[in-house]
Amino acid sequence: MPEIYAGIDVGSLCTKVVILDAGRNVLSSHILRSGGHYQGAAEAAFSGALESAGLRIKEISFLVSTGYGRARVTFSDTHVTEITCHARGAKHLFPHVHTVIDIGGQDSKVIYVNDEGRPKNFVMNDKCAAGTGRFLEVMAGALEVSLQEMAELSFHAQGESEVSNMCTVFAESEVISLLAQGTEKADIAAAIFRSIARRITGLVGKLGLKEPVVMTGGVAKNPGMVRALEEKLRTTLLIPPEPQIMGAYGAALIAAEQSD
Amino acid sequence: MEQTLNQIFNLVTDPYTGIAAWKERLQKKVVGCMPMHLPEELVHAAGLQPVVLWRSNEPVTLGHAHVYTFNCGLTRSVVDDAVKGKLAVLDGIITYDLCLQARELPFIINRNAPPAYLETVYIPGPVTAPVYKDFLLENFRNLKASLEKFSGQTMTQDALRQSIALYNRQRGLLRQLYALRRQTPGLIRAKEMLAIVQSGMLMPKEEHIPLLENLIAELPKRTVSSGKKARVVLSGCMCQTPRFDLLDLIEEEGMAVIDDEIYVGGRYFFHDVAETGDPLEALAERYLNRTIPCPTKVDWTNHWGDYLVDWVGQQKAQGVVTLLVKFCPPHLCYYPDVKKRLANANIPEVMLEVEHEVVSLEQVRTRLQAFVEEIR
Ligand SMILES: Nc1ncnc2c1ncn2[C@@H]1O[C@H](COP(=O)(O)OP(=O)(O)OP(=O)(O)O)[C@@H](O)[C@H]1O
Ligand SMILES: [Mg+2]
Repeated sequence: MPEIYAGIDVGSLCTKVVILDAGRNVLSSHILRSGGHYQGAAEAAFSGALESAGLRIKEISFLVSTGYGRARVTFSDTHVTEITCHARGAKHLFPHVHTVIDIGGQDSKVIYVNDEGRPKNFVMNDKCAAGTGRFLEVMAGALEVSLQEMAELSFHAQGESEVSNMCTVFAESEVISLLAQGTEKADIAAAIFRSIARRITGLVGKLGLKEPVVMTGGVAKNPGMVRALEEKLRTTLLIPPEPQIMGAYGAALIAAEQSD
Repeated sequence: MEQTLNQIFNLVTDPYTGIAAWKERLQKKVVGCMPMHLPEELVHAAGLQPVVLWRSNEPVTLGHAHVYTFNCGLTRSVVDDAVKGKLAVLDGIITYDLCLQARELPFIINRNAPPAYLETVYIPGPVTAPVYKDFLLENFRNLKASLEKFSGQTMTQDALRQSIALYNRQRGLLRQLYALRRQTPGLIRAKEMLAIVQSGMLMPKEEHIPLLENLIAELPKRTVSSGKKARVVLSGCMCQTPRFDLLDLIEEEGMAVIDDEIYVGGRYFFHDVAETGDPLEALAERYLNRTIPCPTKVDWTNHWGDYLVDWVGQQKAQGVVTLLVKFCPPHLCYYPDVKKRLANANIPEVMLEVEHEVVSLEQVRTRLQAFVEEIR
């Protein structure tokens, strides 16, 4: 029977699964919201991915879990932190990568990867979700647009508004007061992206930017955020075809190595 | 031995009750000292019983009417405890100009909850020129006179020498315990070690010494699981004890703390006071020349980062866990440079913030686990 490997990334916001064949090709992947129940989300996402690959659970040779709820995955063979997994996934697709920026729902992480592709240093945001995917969702809510619309809007900004508060609660009231002043939604959207980009740039500064830079995590799917970050960091961000599954992909690659 | 450890944990988790109990028994006046650089020996030689001020065992509430929420846990705790009346167990308090936050304390305490004796000392930050020694000695002499006045007892040279000898003896025993841990990582849990050191700050050394002797005799009999652990050292953590759950997490994630240079730890006992010459000068000398490089001192001849690089090498440690007290300006000021020097020497380092309030441990766990993955 050919070897099949799986990685499961139980993030604070979304759970992602990637299944690989023996040649490290992606057979299937699955993304869903974690909700309040990590173990249930893990099971549901895993069955989803198994189903689309037409596989059964006992055909999986090795399963690595990662992410916030990694220890809640009772059916995994081992667990590894998402820092190592995102670095591993990014390295596989972009062999020369030196910096990985993962912005997820609750955490943003900047990881320095050495010449051998090993994560050698990292920084994480502080406890709160300011400047992450969840923050963006709240801001989109305040603007009454979807995340896609918010990104689209930011490309049409004319003015130079600023959102200076980084606390999600304060930033939301700041956005509402800008709306009340009649500021264009497009300008506010652009200001929100710039404010997060400032924060991430501060985080990157703690490690020092070493190119090439790969961006992973769900927020890499937000073109408004990507553009703002590229402008602030003055660099081009390399983005995998599906950045949100990079943690699960890295976990699956580690699963393949572990079973070797 | 378990009984000794219980006694130690009880004292450090509730110093208020513990201190009141031995104070009642010994009938001594108790003086709380601001941590880090005050010479406890001087207080002791005046016939008083010094203790080192500690971080409170409950959330800061009333204190926030007097002190910023962005002060460190220790200064907020001391103010909070003072205005809540929890420091009534102390007959006196000595503060000094350790940092900007510490400078505010005597005013707030004096205004809201003055103890019978409140003294403020100047201890110079810069230490490299002779003038600072003169200045420090002058301040130590003033402190001596003020302590004598409060205790009603003249301090003889001999009494001070005896106090110094007693304190050196206690420091020596703590060093022996640390040596035991270096020989057998895991023999003494990180939180046990810190509790042991802190308990010595909260009770008479005369009574702490027998506890240490008991531990030194008994601890080696423990069985230690032989699993392979990453060898790490702790750095920083000025003035206060880190939360114990943070220390447990470090060990749970597969690290063994083999040594530390934190204040409630190695910094407290690292160097002795010389027992020859003038005792007051010897106390001054210890502060000026015999401490681990400290961010509250200005000493460009002795760089903290370089010191750490050497020390980590000697310990054959695989990494450094920096404990940075949240809102501690002195440490924050030095930290970027220390971090850079460690990185240049290829020494892995991870920083954890030490907070008074409960922190989200899961995020800290991810940091620590990733750190272990990095250094393995
Ligand atoms: N199609 C999309 N367009 C824009 N943003 C998106 C899209 N899909 C997801 N996101 C963003 O991705 C975020 C979730 O990212 P991700 O799945 O990487 O987080 P997570 O791994 O659960 O969180 P963490 O790593 O912090 O624990 C959402 O908050 C949202 O902002
Ligand atoms: Mg994630």
